[in-house]
Amino acid sequence: MTVASQPARYNLRIPNMYGRWSGGLRIGWLAAFFLAATLAPSLLSASVLGDAARQLAHKISSVTGPGAITLDITNRSSLDEKAVREARSALEAELRTGGVRTAAADESMGSVQVTLSESIREYVWSAEVVIGSDERGVVLVSAPRPQTGGTPSSSMPLVLRKNFLFTQEQPILDATVIEMSGGPRLLLLDAGQVAVYRQQSGRWEQEASLAITHVRIFPRDLRGRLLLRRDHLFDVHLPGVICRSSVTAPLTLVCNESDEPWPLSADDNGMRAFFAPARNFFTGTLAPGIGKVANAPSFYSAAALPRAGYTLWVLAAVDGSIHALDGMTDQVIRGAKWGSQMAAVHSSCGSGTQLLVSESGTPEQDSVRAVEIPDRDPVFASSPLEFDGPVVALWTDASGTGASAIVKRQDTGWYEAYRISISCGS
Amino acid sequence: MRRIAFLFLAAASLLGAAEGATRPRYGGTVRVMLQSAPTSLELPAGGTPADYWDAARILSMIADNLVEIDTAGHAQPALALSWQSDMNGKRWQFTLRRGVKFHDGTAALPATITQILGERHSDWTVRTAGDSLTVESESPMPSLLAELALPRNAILKRSASGLPVGTGAFRVADFQPGKLLKLAANEESWAGRPFADAIEIELGKSQRDQAIALELTKTDLIETPPQAITANGGAQRVRASLPVELMALVFPSSSKAQDARVREALALAIDRKPIQSVLLKGAGEPAASILPNWMTGYSRVFPVQANLQRARVVLAGSRQPALTLSYDPRDPQAQLIAERIALNAREIDVTLQVSLSGVADVTLTRIVLPSSDSATCLREAALELGMTQPLLHGNSVEDLYSSERALLDLHNVIPLFHLPIATAAGARLRNWQPGRTGNWNLSDVWLEADSR
Repeated sequence: MTVASQPARYNLRIPNMYGRWSGGLRIGWLAAFFLAATLAPSLLSASVLGDAARQLAHKISSVTGPGAITLDITNRSSLDEKAVREARSALEAELRTGGVRTAAADESMGSVQVTLSESIREYVWSAEVVIGSDERGVVLVSAPRPQTGGTPSSSMPLVLRKNFLFTQEQPILDATVIEMSGGPRLLLLDAGQVAVYRQQSGRWEQEASLAITHVRIFPRDLRGRLLLRRDHLFDVHLPGVICRSSVTAPLTLVCNESDEPWPLSADDNGMRAFFAPARNFFTGTLAPGIGKVANAPSFYSAAALPRAGYTLWVLAAVDGSIHALDGMTDQVIRGAKWGSQMAAVHSSCGSGTQLLVSESGTPEQDSVRAVEIPDRDPVFASSPLEFDGPVVALWTDASGTGASAIVKRQDTGWYEAYRISISCGS
Repeated sequence: MRRIAFLFLAAASLLGAAEGATRPRYGGTVRVMLQSAPTSLELPAGGTPADYWDAARILSMIADNLVEIDTAGHAQPALALSWQSDMNGKRWQFTLRRGVKFHDGTAALPATITQILGERHSDWTVRTAGDSLTVESESPMPSLLAELALPRNAILKRSASGLPVGTGAFRVADFQPGKLLKLAANEESWAGRPFADAIEIELGKSQRDQAIALELTKTDLIETPPQAITANGGAQRVRASLPVELMALVFPSSSKAQDARVREALALAIDRKPIQSVLLKGAGEPAASILPNWMTGYSRVFPVQANLQRARVVLAGSRQPALTLSYDPRDPQAQLIAERIALNAREIDVTLQVSLSGVADVTLTRIVLPSSDSATCLREAALELGMTQPLLHGNSVEDLYSSERALLDLHNVIPLFHLPIATAAGARLRNWQPGRTGNWNLSDVWLEADSR
């Protein structure tokens, strides 16, 4: 039986509590514009808060009717002071359009206590309206909470730079950008498909989706590699599965069960290694082998550093050690406590080829650094390039001058694809 | 010049190198200790919240549901890949994941799942149609997805010896009722084989024994009171959930407090803050609503501050019988809290006699809030508290508030605290990311030692 893994489709989302947002009133647009101008740096969606203020004002005025009220606003949400001030202004403006003005207690017919609160998924604003002595009503509105974004950093002999490519909820396994007629395309590999995106007006718009079919169950820590090819567009390597794209248009993808070794470099004829089909590592069996070494310890990742007359292979072994294999010997690099992701990248700096390695791997933050191995002792050659979550994949890209890095953001749980490149420092 | 820079960096770079991150490693046995000592592997009827969580966590490792509900209350695929419903929510169709097998090697076919669900829900009509199944009901089921995600709707069969046979990441390898449960990795788990080879759960261990065992590295994962987080200054290896339990006073229909004014006055007289800070050692949140704020965002509309003046006004002219306040003796904090509430009641001249004997007029109880879907949670809580089922007229936050308000306005239940649950893990447990609603996610953890 063949299983076509597809991303889940949701024909109907679970009923939730988002309110309905009406649009249109001029005052609403003015309030929204004002909020947008003042709140944009704090990533708040001005239109969302403006709409919430309009809705709440409408509900309050329907309870109070026209007249004067005292208005008290308490913030118990993550909104900052500035946002709260603007929310108050917007709310007062909206109330005035409904014939409700704010006044001192002795001039008012009642009081309105507004609480700006939030649940795990949305802002919830409540207003307790007291008219006369005892009559108390409660009205509520809700508005979606915004997502937050991330920022870059850097200093040293080499400078690492990251280019954000794409983000999605499903785990990304690999990503690469290729130049094609009609503009660049982004190929994105996940467990169920290779998605092809085309750049349109500065955004990636999906152009095609090529399903990955497989019989075997994929491992829980799934890994995969997308490799561009000369005689056809690309190959996909997944545990126990190889997929090959069509040579001619229309673009198709054919997948077959296969335990063939995976290429360890972008080069078609380079070193290959067997991947354990039900696990997350290379078995250590190499084809054709590094000089006299055909069997290395099982490893997560490998990188080739050209040397005069030979290639030094560096492996991140499953037991956490780092091995350097030159075809004659297998040496453990002592003291190198790197992560399990590494990739070799060519540059015009230093020795000309650097190792990119993942670092600390704390759940909150991870980083990638460039490493040189002048002799057998590694040397950090760049400052850490930081990410807001663990680096879960790092592969040398097709050009060899960069690497694709996949990061799982800790705050959102979404996956982000980056291209990392090296430039020479001062 | 550049060479000199590299040499300089060589010295600096290897000093203080951090422990590297690594991909998950396979192998080893995760050792767990639990307080409860179940004699069968099913959700307990009438057990404590701790019994419920333990059973739910064990079943979640053995079995899958059709869907899961994430912390934000949104449905995520599990055994069902996709779903759709008709306009009024009376008919739902689920497309099932193919190639899934039960631990006994039989296929988890739509017909099998249909039979399992159909037997549990006589008010549903469950049918198979090719790769999908449909669930129909006479009345709308807007929260069906959340209902299907509850532990009681885990898709599992029972072996001849009564042990659960599911499709989950682990299968039952050995069960010694009340003592020990051994789970083994399911090599054919549809989500991929878990990293650990096995999970060994010692049952019936007191929290003190658990804490000592963790300290001595004799175990990897234990239950811990949420207060421990405050006590150890937020140690990284202790994780508390969001508040997923409710402590409340419940008046049974036979209560002598038939006058709603007495019940309302008592609600106004209880000073929750000192109880929370002293008796609960700062854990949880004072509550006057059934649903916690993280779920609804509106709980502050229900004031938690004591208001003795208002209580006396409410009570004026009502008959005030002496009431018996009962509590769950299995809950270690319940007696002290009950006694403190009796003191509060005395301030408005209501007599509460704390006692475990006789017929209770009011009971201090602790219930589980089992779903992060607010409507489902409200329904389940109402059922557990013996209240009438809430009437939800729509999906808005205001609809939810109205139905919760209507329940509480009867004053048959006085919410007191929303409480989290907490777990502590030893150092060798890696990728330990317990869910914010109390689930463990042990299929994704791996062990630092015992690798491969």
